[in-house]
Amino acid sequence: MTMPEQPPDAAPPTIALSDSWRSSTARLILTYGALFAAWSIILIGAISWETARYLENLVDQILQQRIHFLATVDHSRLPELLDATTALDLRGVMSFGLFDPDSRYLLGDIDQLPAELPMDGVVHPIPRGIPRLSGDRGRRTRGVALRRSDGLVLLLARDYGTVDRVGAIIRGSLFWAMSLTLIPGLLGGYVLARGPLRRVRSIEAAIQPIMRGDLRARLPISSRRDELDMLAAIVNRMLEQIERLLGEVKGVSDSIAHDLRTPLTRLRTQLYRLQRDSPDGEGSALLLERCLGETDALLDRFRALLRISELEDLHRRAGFRDIDLADILRRAHELYAPVAEDKALGFSLQIGPVTTVHADADLLFEAVTNLVSNAIKFTPAGGQIVLRSSASPQGARIEVCDSGPGIAPVEREAVLQRFYRTPRGQQRPGFGLGLSIVAAIAKLHGFRLEIGANEPTGARLIIYCSASAT
Amino acid sequence: MARILTIEDDAVTAAEIIAELQIHGHQVDYVASGSDGLAKALGGSYDAITLDRMLPELDGLTLIVRVREAGVRTPVLMISALSDVDERIRGLRAGGDDYMTKPFAPDEMAARIEVLLRREPPTQGTMLRVADLELDLMTRSARRAGALIELLPLEFRLLDYLMRHSGQVLTRTMIFEAVWGYRFDPGTNVIDVHMARLRRKVDAGRSPSMIRTVRGCGYVLAELP
Repeated sequence: MTMPEQPPDAAPPTIALSDSWRSSTARLILTYGALFAAWSIILIGAISWETARYLENLVDQILQQRIHFLATVDHSRLPELLDATTALDLRGVMSFGLFDPDSRYLLGDIDQLPAELPMDGVVHPIPRGIPRLSGDRGRRTRGVALRRSDGLVLLLARDYGTVDRVGAIIRGSLFWAMSLTLIPGLLGGYVLARGPLRRVRSIEAAIQPIMRGDLRARLPISSRRDELDMLAAIVNRMLEQIERLLGEVKGVSDSIAHDLRTPLTRLRTQLYRLQRDSPDGEGSALLLERCLGETDALLDRFRALLRISELEDLHRRAGFRDIDLADILRRAHELYAPVAEDKALGFSLQIGPVTTVHADADLLFEAVTNLVSNAIKFTPAGGQIVLRSSASPQGARIEVCDSGPGIAPVEREAVLQRFYRTPRGQQRPGFGLGLSIVAAIAKLHGFRLEIGANEPTGARLIIYCSASAT
Repeated sequence: MARILTIEDDAVTAAEIIAELQIHGHQVDYVASGSDGLAKALGGSYDAITLDRMLPELDGLTLIVRVREAGVRTPVLMISALSDVDERIRGLRAGGDDYMTKPFAPDEMAARIEVLLRREPPTQGTMLRVADLELDLMTRSARRAGALIELLPLEFRLLDYLMRHSGQVLTRTMIFEAVWGYRFDPGTNVIDVHMARLRRKVDAGRSPSMIRTVRGCGYVLAELP
């Protein structure tokens, strides 16, 4: 048999809560972090730009003052003062050049006048830098040139790399400060987000039994009384209302079934007496026989309905003990083998290596016989029915396979509801209640009832006898 | 004819029980309360009692415990609206001999009373006999007019039950309870199929059958007239 092991009615995909970053708190923190980073970058940019501009202006003023001073001193003192300018400059950022009125080199570190530099005594940027005699071209150079009254041309140039470096230091320190703020902030946010997530998970766990149909369960409410608790309280009030309404509906349908059973039983009694007192062979005797049959069918239906209701109300596990599954299956086979044979059906029993299951023996027998009875009912003459027990990863397994028309995947959920009939099975009586009884018994035990397809045709009903949490 | 005491507080149900038992030729005394019931059960010599589980003043369980404590062994059929298995077990433990749930078919009730009235004495020896049908309890084999009938284990249990209650109407529910030991309703035709097989073996072509179908009710195994 090539059946997919995956149950077709597996739980619907739920939102994976494993990813902590999906919570609303985490999203808030990420957004805040991004805004904080953007604002920090703007701030750093503004501060470093302002600082660099201020320092540049300062240095420009110094250069301008110096060149104006040098322009006024006596020609003979000029070489000495120029040398002093560079002698005090240990880092080598300052350089100068002295040129004759025809722009020919006379003195200094710079031997060429840059063509683009106007001789106006105002500091200008020299984008390509100035080649020095010492060979160093400098990173970013600003210079000032001035023609003296005696025709000599003075050139002062300065490497502004140090000014830029101040900006870099400011940017660096602010970047570190931002990182040191952001990283603990994000980590803290992650930790904070986990708290509510844990509670969402506990709510999710609390909802499981409710989804399985136990409407008495409620969501947990913590002592914090926060938004989650308010929401849980609202859901709990809703559950209370649903439970009450369902209880009313069930109560009404139970009492309808119960109340109708008594007059039906009396009707049956009257019919029975009529039949007993009327002589055989009369036309009315046959009619009475049919009436009795119909009444019996009605009573059976009510009995089954009340039985399901009774099973749904049972919460006790007192009758549960370790029972021999093979024995249950053998008895069920023994009970139904003649029925199958009369219908010309092959009915085989396959006992696998399963020892005991924890269950109520009578109820489990009732469930198995219901499955077998259904299989016999729906399998056409000449078909095959297999009753099998086996071990599976999900616990001991009882299977009833038939070669009937099978149950379409879309109908598998619905056939477990009371009174459902397959469109193809309209004429066959009592389809729904049998499976509903099985489902109720399985649920009472915490067992799983699964409806699958048999190969090549037919239905395959499986009870996994491992008690899940109920 | 047997004397039967009916303790039942619901008048309609009581009327039904009385009517059905009278049809079967019994004399019925009727009381509606538990205390009256206890007095009658202890005082009068009845052959059987039908007892409602829930009664005013003194409830059915207490009543039966008192009756048994007084040493009265009259068979009691308990009738209850409580269908739970636990309730049934409690009723039988308290001293009830059989247990039925409401609403019930009166013929089923009458059949159960008949069985209680003719509770078989402990089997003498190892053979059951009904006319020319013999059942050997040791070898678990049956003979009809000396000819061996091969029986499956289940068929043996079924025939054993029928022969021990020969001449009594046994409903399908009673047969299922006694032979298979389960309380639920297995569906109407399952017991019929088993009975048809047993009947074929027991009759071996003879007619009429020793196992008679009581229409709308059950089966009876009896000596042929």
